[in-house]
Amino acid sequence: MSRRSSIGRFTAQLFALLAIFVAWEWSVWLFEISHDKLPPLSVVLSTMWFDRAPLAAAVGTTLLEAVLGLMAGTATGVVSGIAFSRSRLLERMFLPYFVASQAIPIIAFGAIIIMWFGNGIASKVIIALYLSFFPVAVNTLRGIRSVGEGEIGLLRSFGASPTAILFKLQLPAALPSIMTAVRLGASLALVGAIVGEWFGASQGLGVVLLMAMFDYRIPQLWAGILLTGLTGVSLYAAIVFLHKRIAWWQVEA
Amino acid sequence: MTPKICVKNLSKHFTAGVSTVQTLDNVNLRVNDGEFVTLVGPSGCGKSTLFNIIVGLLPPDEGLLLIDGEQQPHDHLLGQVAFMPQRDMLLPWRTVLDNAILAAEIDGVARATARQRAMDSLDRFGLGGFESHYPSQLSGGMRQRVALMRTFMFDREIMLLDEPFGALDALTRALMQRWLLEVWEGEKRTVLFITHDIDEAIYLGDRVLVMSARPGHIKLDKEVALARPRAPDIITRPEFVELKRELLATIEDESLKAFAAMNRSVSDKEAGGR
Repeated sequence: MSRRSSIGRFTAQLFALLAIFVAWEWSVWLFEISHDKLPPLSVVLSTMWFDRAPLAAAVGTTLLEAVLGLMAGTATGVVSGIAFSRSRLLERMFLPYFVASQAIPIIAFGAIIIMWFGNGIASKVIIALYLSFFPVAVNTLRGIRSVGEGEIGLLRSFGASPTAILFKLQLPAALPSIMTAVRLGASLALVGAIVGEWFGASQGLGVVLLMAMFDYRIPQLWAGILLTGLTGVSLYAAIVFLHKRIAWWQVEA
Repeated sequence: MTPKICVKNLSKHFTAGVSTVQTLDNVNLRVNDGEFVTLVGPSGCGKSTLFNIIVGLLPPDEGLLLIDGEQQPHDHLLGQVAFMPQRDMLLPWRTVLDNAILAAEIDGVARATARQRAMDSLDRFGLGGFESHYPSQLSGGMRQRVALMRTFMFDREIMLLDEPFGALDALTRALMQRWLLEVWEGEKRTVLFITHDIDEAIYLGDRVLVMSARPGHIKLDKEVALARPRAPDIITRPEFVELKRELLATIEDESLKAFAAMNRSVSDKEAGGR
């Protein structure tokens, strides 16, 4: 990707976003849409500006929960992926339960997590971890398994121990697919943090959304939605940046 | 003199489902200390399998492997032989320099020391100025040189090279052969070199071994009585041509057998399919 064309693409995307914003603003006036259904963007933005301090705090809290959860989820995923790659027995014993765990919606037991870990940050981190570890575990295993017999044989011929093979060959080779999973995990971790806040919290974007909904403060609700989107996109962009830095030789789409 | 490498009555078969393939059958060979021996044979004759057994990656079914006259249990030689497989297998996330030191690093040489040593020999491998490049930025010939450098940096008396120039174009290949001889003449390590190119086998080797079609065994063991250092135009000399004629006859014989066996197995499959 040349520098020029990526700048061109960025400009085009910015332009499209502006067009959507303008269409939003005008259509509310033009079609006389009730502000309870869709307030004009200008009203949402002024609400956002007016509430900037608490909203910034909410974004900060949720982002912290999501990032800590994602880090814990990535660590859990990588460690279990390595464990599965070392032992078929472990894989047979636990992987099916990992898969099953993903079939249970977090909504079903979110309340339990809050009861166990309190309504502070810990419970949200755990929910974000729960949602994000699985893709990382699977892709770590897949990445390690994708290393060819030939490459492993070459390192063995140099006298490499299984640990040396893991750290010098298998884990670096798995890094691109691990980073792909972390991208996916980033979105999931944010969902986890917000859902966790719905079950019980005093601060965060989830709280902002829930309160606005209960009090029927529609502009606040839209402000919350926009900020959640912005937080999600920023988190994703940060992970993509990281991916290109640490696993640059193979960036999967 | 005790040979550096001695292989005695080595056999190996593989089982795939119900069928059994005898890959090596009673292979006997010896390579003396400091000798450059080349091994030619039709494709699929088990040359690479033989290498994998000598390196210690595969156990033989039968037979002995002696290094300096001492019998070696199957995986005893892991870490003892500098092995270069057919594909370069460079790691895409490592620079030229760090790929070159991989074997040494695994061997326990400190990274800084290994890097310094590699920097000093970059020029000799024609890689001067390319130390910070990544494999994806290199041509096939350069990648192969990095792989060779990695093999040379793994400081072992025995080197096993499996068709290192097989994927290169004719011109690059000729240059690499000359260059390999120069490097080798400076070090005089014991080399066993697989190729399917007869010119290459004669040009490089002190001795040429011809392997039979599968199941593979050593069919012919021929001294190359050409003085070193060898000039590139040696391949037009009558002694060279005479030797080539003799080797060609044997190899062609074996290639035909391999070809016939291949056709037979294809028609077997077709018959079985009906």
